[in-house]
Amino acid sequence: MTQRGSGLSERALARVFVAPSLLLMALVALFPVLYAVGLSLFEYSRRRRESFAGLSNYTEALGDDRFWSALWFTLVFTVTSVAAEFVIGLGFALLMNQAFRGRGLTRAAILIPWVIPTVIAAQMWFFMFNVTPGFINSVFGLGDFSWLGQPGWATFAIVFADVWKTAPFVALLLLAGLQTIPSELTESALVDGAGRWQRLWYVTLPLLRPAILVALLFRTVDALRVYDLVAVMTGGAFDTESLSVLVQQYVVRTPDPGYGSALSTLTFILILGIGLVFVRLLGRDLAIGRGETR
Amino acid sequence: MTRRRTWLKAALLLVILAWCLFPFLWLVMTSLKLGDRALNSPDLFQGPFGLDNYRNVFEQDFQLNLRNSLAIAAMTTIICVVVGSLAAYALARLPLKRRLLLLTGVLAVSLFPPVALVPPLYEVWRSIGLLNKWEGLYLPYTAFELPLTIFILTTFYAAIPKELEEAARVDGATPFQAFYKVVFPLAAPGVFAAAIIVFVAAWNEFLLASTFAPRNPEIAQTVPVAIAAFTGQVEFQRPIGTITAACVVVVIPMVVVALAFQRRIVAGLTAGSVKG
Repeated sequence: MTQRGSGLSERALARVFVAPSLLLMALVALFPVLYAVGLSLFEYSRRRRESFAGLSNYTEALGDDRFWSALWFTLVFTVTSVAAEFVIGLGFALLMNQAFRGRGLTRAAILIPWVIPTVIAAQMWFFMFNVTPGFINSVFGLGDFSWLGQPGWATFAIVFADVWKTAPFVALLLLAGLQTIPSELTESALVDGAGRWQRLWYVTLPLLRPAILVALLFRTVDALRVYDLVAVMTGGAFDTESLSVLVQQYVVRTPDPGYGSALSTLTFILILGIGLVFVRLLGRDLAIGRGETR
Repeated sequence: MTRRRTWLKAALLLVILAWCLFPFLWLVMTSLKLGDRALNSPDLFQGPFGLDNYRNVFEQDFQLNLRNSLAIAAMTTIICVVVGSLAAYALARLPLKRRLLLLTGVLAVSLFPPVALVPPLYEVWRSIGLLNKWEGLYLPYTAFELPLTIFILTTFYAAIPKELEEAARVDGATPFQAFYKVVFPLAAPGVFAAAIIVFVAAWNEFLLASTFAPRNPEIAQTVPVAIAAFTGQVEFQRPIGTITAACVVVVIPMVVVALAFQRRIVAGLTAGSVKG
């Protein structure tokens, strides 16, 4: 360009600007994942390395019922909570998109469940579901029904707490998508005689597709990581142990770096795999679209 | 639209309001109940009420937890915003080889499950002495929040007219000067939005915090870990009063921040995802 005095060229500057981010992510995110693969190939007793173990930690993990039950819970939790959050979030977003009075207030309120720590939401719903003081039981007249003390209902309570916290967030993302849809489109469908549900199904939802897919990607990947709610509400009892809770057990409570790393590597492959399948489906809408926004 | 329809919709909005706010009414009322009242009576409005639980929270050094969380979240935010805005600017504006590969890599890191880092980082931190240290937490937080920061800021930088930098360059600014004197100030709203979102994420993190710094508020135990770990007089019984009071102490400032910066946060959240 015109200036050729002091200062880096644009090309050099670009490299200098990107370097710190790449370095940080490589050192603190990528390296540990690779290091885990290394750790997982050894046999430990407590924290002392005993011998090279090959893939025996993996075969042990894959033969362990606890792993499969954690995987099952994680998948059930993800599918049910993401589905419920999507339906409720879409309902909220459609309502907020149409209402005129009170929209600002609702929009503000909807941020509150998102902003508070998950641990707080977990404690709140723990006590509301718990037999003492039994708030939910007293509202619905259920006596001493033990939500958190039996398989099935414990899962329900955890899913419920997650839906409460995250459905508003999904609503926020979908509302932003709804507001990019020109109202002429739904209005012309109205003129053409389309009913309420027809307008939703044939006009709004197809146009909302990119926003829906991105919201589902974010929520699915996030739900697969579930840890806080389980750790606080049940500690993994009553068939509610998630993959993250299971892995964490082998770090502090019953330390075994080898076996723990094998489990964490399996979890990593699984969650990243599901995420990448999603990204693949999104393809054009996401990664490439980002490349073109320049 | 008729007047009645308008009011019906406003009434339906009340459902959303109740969904978002009602649990907090329960939280505040429960935290104000004295003695074992909170544990024995589900009736929200049955007293006696008082501030004993709040006194209890601070007797258990909760102010130190607040300090730790504040420091850790602030460090995460500063590093993320500085490092992330450089990368985002390069991705949005500068000539960069393999841009698509870089973006894909950043996206992949955003898909990493944090738990994959827990066993290996624990071993590394143990050997270099970063367990129970602020650094042991804000370094991984930074790595995890960088992708989102980069996505949000790339969107904001891309929206700034390119002519402004070109004008600066014609006037003799170097590429770096064009960035930090012209573009960075213009992107301030975006930077602020990213900062709040990163801060909230770091403040709320629980998995790494409870593994790498599970105890000792005087060193590095954070707020969520303390709230999960409060112990009562009776073993195996969660002290409902202390916990709910601590929750209120944390929730109030966060709600104020969420309300005050509502527009910024929403803009940032949607820039990081929907707009893609």
